Amino acid sequence: MRGSVARITAIASKEFIHISRDWRMIVAVLVLPLTQLLLFAYAISFDVRNIPTVTLDLDRSAASRAFIDAYGHSGFFSMQGGVTDQAGVMQAFDRGTARAAIIVERGYGDDIASGRPGPVSVLIDGSEPNSAQLAQTYALALDQTLGRQAAVSWAAARGLSPPTAGTLQPLVRTWYNPERRSADFLIPGLMVVIIMIVTIQQTSVTLVRERENGTLEQLMESPLTHGELILGKVAPWAILGFVDMVLITAIALVVFGVPLRGDIAVLAIGTLLFIVCSLSLGLVISAVAPTIESANMAGLLVSFLPGFMLSGMAFPLASIPVPLQVISYLFPARYMIEISRGIFLRGTSWGALYPEVLSLAVYAVAALGIATLLNRRRT
Amino acid sequence: MSLFGNRKQAVPQAETLGDDAIVVSKLRKTFGDFVAVDSIDLTVKRGEIFGFLGPNGSGKTTTIRMLCGVIEPSGGTATVMGYDICKDPEKVRCNIGYMSQKFSLFQDLTVDENLRFYSGLYGLTAEKYAERRAYILKMADLEGRETELTKNLSVGWKQRLALGCATLHEPKLIFLDEPTSGVDPTARRQFWELLYDLANDGVALFVTTHYMDEATHCNRLAFIYRGDIIAAGTPQEVKAGLAKDTILRLDVDDGEGALAALQGNSAVAEAYMQGASLQVNIGHLSADEADLPAVLGSAGFLVHGVERVEPTLEDAFVHLVTEQGGRA
Repeated sequence: MRGSVARITAIASKEFIHISRDWRMIVAVLVLPLTQLLLFAYAISFDVRNIPTVTLDLDRSAASRAFIDAYGHSGFFSMQGGVTDQAGVMQAFDRGTARAAIIVERGYGDDIASGRPGPVSVLIDGSEPNSAQLAQTYALALDQTLGRQAAVSWAAARGLSPPTAGTLQPLVRTWYNPERRSADFLIPGLMVVIIMIVTIQQTSVTLVRERENGTLEQLMESPLTHGELILGKVAPWAILGFVDMVLITAIALVVFGVPLRGDIAVLAIGTLLFIVCSLSLGLVISAVAPTIESANMAGLLVSFLPGFMLSGMAFPLASIPVPLQVISYLFPARYMIEISRGIFLRGTSWGALYPEVLSLAVYAVAALGIATLLNRRRT
Repeated sequence: MSLFGNRKQAVPQAETLGDDAIVVSKLRKTFGDFVAVDSIDLTVKRGEIFGFLGPNGSGKTTTIRMLCGVIEPSGGTATVMGYDICKDPEKVRCNIGYMSQKFSLFQDLTVDENLRFYSGLYGLTAEKYAERRAYILKMADLEGRETELTKNLSVGWKQRLALGCATLHEPKLIFLDEPTSGVDPTARRQFWELLYDLANDGVALFVTTHYMDEATHCNRLAFIYRGDIIAAGTPQEVKAGLAKDTILRLDVDDGEGALAALQGNSAVAEAYMQGASLQVNIGHLSADEADLPAVLGSAGFLVHGVERVEPTLEDAFVHLVTEQGGRA
């Protein structure tokens, strides 16, 4: 037993030396996760702002200018200037200088003044469906608001009582102040995916590298057992992964103002188990991959794809096809995201989260065992 | 041969008494249909330098891995340092040292860190480690280089450090898998002196090599070919198999061409290049009976000289392999 601890310690301390000697690894462990957090947190946003927009004002009246100005002031559309005809709109779309166009038909001012529907149209470049969808929603909401304003002022000018205000405002508000909500929702999931990427990437090459260098052969001729080797490999990365998680959590709380409503101890336990799960998944790759290159590729594939697609980070898992839902249970991220969001956002208690924590614990033990067996088979 | 010429007398003789370090009986390993090691028997005594020779892929490494308890044999038994390799592989691994041809040290660790790592692996106490570290640094001539990164050491130093790591826990049996491949002659010679010292201290050495001069200086040899041990004994015994044959060294301009011309000649048992000269085994014939200059002359090759030479180990192995090939 004492010998076993000494051997695991020997492996773990030499791993720490490997890491400290290789600046690329230090970057990969400490700088990349934080960069990824900042990049993804800002880039993966469900808010669409500043859609480049051109205008085609065929009416050239005070009313048409007011209509166009309203778009400009909304903050969602970035006005790129006016064009003189339909061809100009097409040209702007083709060149990519605009993804939306506001067209006010001739006679708009007169129609509004006389109470008829104002002929306006909004063209949206649909090649980016998500932005297009949002742009359309903004435009519809704006048009209805503006339309109602026109109706109100038309009625008022005639001394009539204005029609009852619609219920459009709440829909608009969802998008008007979305920034905070988006970050709160994203970051607790994002941190899980980032930890998964870092840990899988690092361990997926570690056994292959030893095999290619011939050092694994040397280790196998010593009293070291496969289980001790795996534990010695996991230990330093578990510590570093945990440090990463602490840093990311600090940034989430301080920079992004994400709330932390639940028990931090549950988060810590879940995180540690999750890190061991991901590390073991990386070791499984490392045990079966023939070369460092293939281990790297497999590590990328396994960490990025299931990380983003099958974890519930970006899409609710209930909305993905059933076979993929089944596969998602094979990756530890879905359990951890449930824990993370529960603790950060909902303040969920231990009582409600223990199935996920337990799943991670079982997963960790199973994955460590599988990695050990697979590595033994390769030697 | 010249490398070790002046050391010949220093080769320690294996102790005739005492336990055997390795006893192998009918050891066999198959991978699917492929028979990697085919029921071999061998014995290595304590304090003996045992040479295990054979071409690449003949089963050398597979045998070592079985004897170290890393892979399980498909059949047969083996006892290493008194422990059964199937029942007690952990005990076996605690009592042996292993050094591979890659000098599998961690290149980004310093000399000291490599030593400390192996000390942890073999569970040395702090006092024992301090004692062994001092001894190994001196033995490997690495004093003053403790904090140097291993990758910056020359090949000879790396090799001696690897030997140091393999002997850190004072095993009485060390497996060395082509320990001198890629090492310059001077470093090889220094290295073998270290091996002799170890053997003098009673450590058994199980060495694979493809340098025939090194093989000559082992106490005993086994030659493995296609998973089978086809010759075993002292270097003299192995060579004795060729004692009745006549080996001629031919000085000829186009050795490769002459070699091709001799294929199929009934007088020639074996012909092969050794260095720049053509070596021909003509069996029981005399040089005059075979009259190779005439044979080659008629084929258009001018022979400058014919010399009868004593068979070397290399001749013996070529002979053995040719015999095997003929049988297969």
